[in-house]
Amino acid sequence: MEKIIKAYSNLMKRNLDKPELVKFLIKIGLEVAKLWVDYVGDKDAPESLRYLNSICFKFILEPLRDPNNSAFVNLLAPTEILHSMDIYPLFIEAYSSFISGFYCENAFIDKATAEGISDTLCSYHKTFLGALELSILPKLKFAVTSSILCDGNSNTFRYIANRYKIPYYIIDIPYGYSEESVRYVVNQLKEMISIVEAITQKRFDIDRLREIIRLENRTKGYIRSYLESLKNHTMPNSISLEMYKLFVTHPYMGREETFRFFKILADDVIKYPDSGYRIFWIHIMPYFSYPIQRYLNFNKDFKLIGCDLNFDYLEDMDERKPLEAIARKLMLNVNNGNFKRKIDNIKKLIIDLKVDGVIHFCQWGCKQSFGGFMLLKKEIEKMGIPFLAIDGDAVDRRNNPEEQINTRLSAFFEVLTERGKRW
Amino acid sequence: MVGYVCKYTPYLVIESLGEKTVRIEPKISSYEMSNSLTHPNICSYAKLVLEEILKKKTDKIILTNCCDSIRRLYDILEALPFIKFLHIIDLPKKRDQKGRFLFKNEIIKLIKRYKEFSGKNLDIGNLRDLLNNLSPSIEKRNEKLNLVIIGGRCKESIIEIVEEFGGNILYNLTCTGNRPPYRPIGINEDPIEAYANILLDSYPCMRMDDTKERLDIFTQDKRIDGVIYHTVKFCDLYSYEYADIKDKIDIPLLKLETDYTDTSEGQIRTRVQAFIESLKEKAKKDIQPKSTRKDLIVAGIDSGSTSTNAVIIDANRRILGFSIIPTGAKSIESAYRALEEALKTSGIKMEDLSYIVATGYGRISIHFANLEVTEITCHAKGAFFLNKDIRTIIDVGGQDSKVIKIDKDGNIIDFVMNDKCSAGTGRFLENMSRVLEIPVDRMGKESLDWKEDLEISSMCTVFAESEVISLIAKNKDRKDIIRAIHKSIVKRIISFIERINGEPRYIMTGGVAKNIGVVRCLEEKLGEKVIVPDEPQIVGALGSALIGLEKLEGLTICV
Repeated sequence: MEKIIKAYSNLMKRNLDKPELVKFLIKIGLEVAKLWVDYVGDKDAPESLRYLNSICFKFILEPLRDPNNSAFVNLLAPTEILHSMDIYPLFIEAYSSFISGFYCENAFIDKATAEGISDTLCSYHKTFLGALELSILPKLKFAVTSSILCDGNSNTFRYIANRYKIPYYIIDIPYGYSEESVRYVVNQLKEMISIVEAITQKRFDIDRLREIIRLENRTKGYIRSYLESLKNHTMPNSISLEMYKLFVTHPYMGREETFRFFKILADDVIKYPDSGYRIFWIHIMPYFSYPIQRYLNFNKDFKLIGCDLNFDYLEDMDERKPLEAIARKLMLNVNNGNFKRKIDNIKKLIIDLKVDGVIHFCQWGCKQSFGGFMLLKKEIEKMGIPFLAIDGDAVDRRNNPEEQINTRLSAFFEVLTERGKRW
Repeated sequence: MVGYVCKYTPYLVIESLGEKTVRIEPKISSYEMSNSLTHPNICSYAKLVLEEILKKKTDKIILTNCCDSIRRLYDILEALPFIKFLHIIDLPKKRDQKGRFLFKNEIIKLIKRYKEFSGKNLDIGNLRDLLNNLSPSIEKRNEKLNLVIIGGRCKESIIEIVEEFGGNILYNLTCTGNRPPYRPIGINEDPIEAYANILLDSYPCMRMDDTKERLDIFTQDKRIDGVIYHTVKFCDLYSYEYADIKDKIDIPLLKLETDYTDTSEGQIRTRVQAFIESLKEKAKKDIQPKSTRKDLIVAGIDSGSTSTNAVIIDANRRILGFSIIPTGAKSIESAYRALEEALKTSGIKMEDLSYIVATGYGRISIHFANLEVTEITCHAKGAFFLNKDIRTIIDVGGQDSKVIKIDKDGNIIDFVMNDKCSAGTGRFLENMSRVLEIPVDRMGKESLDWKEDLEISSMCTVFAESEVISLIAKNKDRKDIIRAIHKSIVKRIISFIERINGEPRYIMTGGVAKNIGVVRCLEEKLGEKVIVPDEPQIVGALGSALIGLEKLEGLTICV
């Protein structure tokens, strides 16, 4: 399979000067991959995760199939509003991940940096900007981003929108929480809605948004039930599948498919007994890394129990005041504001999920995350939980020293087994 | 004393609360302590602020949530026991009515917190006076070269270098320069609200929502001769603007990146000086030759990190002799020896020399030279002299690599140079030659006989070395590994060429040009023949001698 994808990658790289062809190859490649996932898929994965895999391909293909009814978004954009208006979001981090899945990220990144984009910028953004510079990125109707989680969002979205001459809107999420700052965000959401209405000629219906939020709340109920069951069960999992959960815990929250996935997941988890060491992952994952795959993909001894990014806001939202609810959701995301909020959330998850070891991935260019990793390390070590930090890149393979990652992981798992189970 | 970092900090309210303030400008060369508290890849400036706070035990600090690195700096400082007062201001990205209201309230919050901390009261009259005394941001005008410095936070020393070489900073749109626009505060006006507005009305930085005003100056002000775009290592906010404007504005632009320490001042100096030289060259008009003496003899000395080279030319621009010697511990001694040897090969006596021009890394130490010019200007001059069809010069020396683009008259259009990183330089090849146990001068030839197409993916010298060691461990053939090393150097060169839109014909100069393996890989990548002069190491020295001659002839106003 890998050989076929690499040959396909070479075909794309040879034709970078023909953007329409590469755009077509990306779309066809994803359509074929979806068919493979639907009819063959990962036999080791539980039913729920196989379904997750399928809907993620569906989600990424929607905006590629219908760019005139789609918008660029970031991970923490208020996509509930777009869902309520039947507009497809294309979340840029996912697009870059799939480009990396095609082994093309290096060519895209090199193009972005040759144009002057900083090589120390996060590779998700560099890959995306490379696609733009190569004219491979589809031109969608508009772009919407929030200012969280990182600095890159505002600038990347402004850059794309200016280059493609499409409207964009940045939702500034204040650092601190107060009723006054909620009003500041709500005001922006209203402004964004009127802009989207004007661009798409679609009417925003607040009752439809309420329905989306109702579905989101029901979905979160299943997430909480899944978390509760995880205390006594461990499911087969892989780093790719855990990363796919970012689709459903963030931009596609509020969609029917997402609700269905968590419902099946909550049923699935209780089918599996509790076994192996429970490994909790912090931040994103280099899904292609062989040493990490070897230790964590469907491993019987070491179980990937979860990733903090998938549990960053699990509160119910007030459907009566949907815009205020969205504003609160964004502002109270544990990754906004003081780093203590992130640390406290992780500590709670470690206790709730009886975690035996924590791996923190320091993603190349992600200052908001690795800037505080020493604070986090200190707190987790105080709990007596082994902590490993790995430097690498979840998009650009060139920034992953495989041998060094392998040695560190081996030593970490040796320490873990030496200590025995924590709980 | 309360320290702050961001230009949006309302520091005058602290002064009106009876406390002095200081903008933290670290003068530090290393990150000894900060690396144990955070990741080495957060913004270099933020790390140095942490280092400075730790060293000076600064105990009262105000930050803004201006960027990811500063937000994390706040979290780290919060855990330090000696900090007595720490506050973060929630700076809105939007400058509309709601954003202004939020920011005004943030100033009120700061006042309240500092009042509680210090027990002092705000002197509102004093705040009004301080605001009214803010010096108006007068644009300096003169007949010198008018430059704009724009981008991320910029050290004062860079401004000083610009001014030293005759540049006039017309606008400073970096984090340290753009002062709020002055306007008097009316007697019935709320000074806090006015202050919030004054700060938000200054030229926006790149973290703000609407940044259009930043670029308006380039279309509106016709006096601008050149632009220096400055970025700080690991601060990525500004590279977007650089990527956006570099092809849009029709004004010469220099890109500078620093890590905010003092360690790269030599390279900064070279680049700024070369840029100003090229602007002056551009301004050269209708200058008649002053001297037609036929007995002029000029020496050019290029003091590089690995070798020191000298060239002697006569008034007919004939090369009379040259020398290439290794640079020793003292660049002035090597320069003198190189000059002596070159004189010996030309049969010329020291006293017959009309003029000496020094270039290269050690040029500022060569006191006996009449003139110092950067190696960028000299390489352009030397290469164009050798072949008038040359449009792109690739110079890879021991420590620096640079690519220079010139026009049909030999004027520099653009250039790019490596930072402190030694990736893709002669130093990198030397390291690899040690690892592979082969003399550096044999590497080129050996690699031509390659069999397997290996890759070294990392451009970082340290990571690349570990990749080479892995290849050795896998028993890969040395010839193939050397070729992979050459390819990685070429990858770096190509990225430089692309950055300035390099065009044929290409010439390669500097010591690495003697490596036939690198040249072949480069030709393969470019799909073009690359000219390599017989003595690629003396092109800079030749250029400096030619500049000296032009100076005597009155043909150049350079420096």
